[in-house]
Amino acid sequence: MRPDFAIETAGLTKIYRSRFRGREIRAVSGISLRVPEGIKFGLLGANGAGKTTFVKMLLSAVHPTLGSARLLGLDAEAPEARRPVGYLPENHRFPTYLTGQGMLRFYGALSGLAPAELRQRIPEMIEMVGLAGWEQVRIKKYSKGMLQRLGLAQALLHRPRLLILDEPTDGVDPLGRRQIRDVLNRLLGTGVTIFINSHLLSEVESFCDEVAIIDKGQLALQGKVRELIAGCGYSLTARQVPEDMRSVLSPFCAVVELSDGGLRAQLVSIEALNQVIDLIRQGGGLIENVQSSVTTLEDIFIRTTQRAASTPEPAEVAS
Amino acid sequence: MKSQDTSRHPSVLPALIADTFQEASARWLFWGLFGLSTLLIAFFLFILKIDVVQGAVSLLGLQQTSHHIGDLERLVRMSYGRVAIFLYIWGTFLAVFASAGLIPSVLEPGRIGLLLSKPVSRTTLLLGRYLGNVLLVTANIVYLIVSVWVIVGWKTGIWYPEFLLAIPFTVFVFAVLLSVVTFIGVAFESAPVAVMAAVALMLISAILAQKDKVVRLLDSEWSRDLWKGLYWIVPKVWELGRAMMDLIGSRQGEWMTAAWTSAVFGLIVLAAAVRIFCKRDY
Repeated sequence: MRPDFAIETAGLTKIYRSRFRGREIRAVSGISLRVPEGIKFGLLGANGAGKTTFVKMLLSAVHPTLGSARLLGLDAEAPEARRPVGYLPENHRFPTYLTGQGMLRFYGALSGLAPAELRQRIPEMIEMVGLAGWEQVRIKKYSKGMLQRLGLAQALLHRPRLLILDEPTDGVDPLGRRQIRDVLNRLLGTGVTIFINSHLLSEVESFCDEVAIIDKGQLALQGKVRELIAGCGYSLTARQVPEDMRSVLSPFCAVVELSDGGLRAQLVSIEALNQVIDLIRQGGGLIENVQSSVTTLEDIFIRTTQRAASTPEPAEVAS
Repeated sequence: MKSQDTSRHPSVLPALIADTFQEASARWLFWGLFGLSTLLIAFFLFILKIDVVQGAVSLLGLQQTSHHIGDLERLVRMSYGRVAIFLYIWGTFLAVFASAGLIPSVLEPGRIGLLLSKPVSRTTLLLGRYLGNVLLVTANIVYLIVSVWVIVGWKTGIWYPEFLLAIPFTVFVFAVLLSVVTFIGVAFESAPVAVMAAVALMLISAILAQKDKVVRLLDSEWSRDLWKGLYWIVPKVWELGRAMMDLIGSRQGEWMTAAWTSAVFGLIVLAAAVRIFCKRDY
């Protein structure tokens, strides 16, 4: 029987303890996440939010302090759970003494592919990621984009059912990003679950079905992209708005930016919009522009992380 | 659901071993090791490029004692023993230096993460690397010792197969010292510290081997017990070398105790390295 979830975590927590200073850093805090099989899932978060630690716990490179993780129904701690998983790490360092083909042969063998399968799959994957003609060249001569595509080839070599990509397009030029996206698009409809860990919101928005946002090690939001960005909103700009109005306006706004009397605000309802306009005019401000806007994943992200920022800091605990 | 532990897949261990060889080759360690061995072999060729009997005698400077030894075969046997101990020390030192960097290199960030994502147990990953190192050094030791054996046999006309015992002795001692290199490599991720620890153990072994003489000089019971305790714990590099020389030179030599205590040390240290590797976050 196939499991319902490609990834399932329960209260996954990682606390790093300093041996000498007696301090604890809570990198990931009680994340319970379910990623259905066959979807494209984006894990979002600012740098240092705990995304990579979370991914490393899924792959048992980091041992959880608390909680558990399952990959396609199997305990993530067991080596066999990683058999149907393809992984492209962030800041990877492939052995530069290998050629592209040698690198695929090595990691393919570790993934359990027999020599005959490797002989068949390697040329296919080289072709798929557009590296034909480079397979006999040492990796140290590859560009960043080529390395990412080669990394993608090694992640796909053994026909994984779950593909985990950690910042796959980070540091790659626009053409390289397009090539990586093309490779991923070819997987659509094959039933492969794609789990992308990224801080590039527009890419995740255009590619993923579902997202989760991690902030300061905690799961701040999870939902379907279509539903999250479905709500329309309004953007408002005004001038001569007194600085002390920020706190008055904040409860009505998703986003408030106020500096030198210039205000830019995002509002989620028409009622909130009218209340804010009334408050600004009462305060002596001048409305400059009002227009309806579509909510983007970036708006959702900023709103979610700002809301989290207004709550007390959970990440560091003195012991 | 179809799933398998790839650790047991027949292609995993050969892949890990082949990777060790490829990395050693790319870092010039492989070629450096074989190059230095070739230099030594060339040196033997040079010094033996003289008359058979005269060559064997002058090689070891035994002209004065040859009349006590009696016959040529015995002389050559003893010569083989001395050459073997020289190769044993040379081979072990070189091997430790060459292999020390090959363990921490696997643990580099960006490399270890991908390795750990594969369906291979951490134990297999580390032991595969260890085995790769042992095989790499074995290839070099076999090349060195067999070459010297062929040269000496060809020049003297006396083929003495016991000389080849230097191969298992040298490889065994290296395997024990590599467990220390592996442990330090995993615990501290530092090749220089690993080399220092292995070389220090070799030197300490030589000092501790003098226990019968030293214990008589120590005045307190606890210091005598400490010395004896350390003697039994530390791998017996010196005794094994001595036993090898005796076995080759006179076909007699006690090596079992030194071998099993060293093997126990190596296994415990390797197990500790595996445990640390399995517990650590990368």
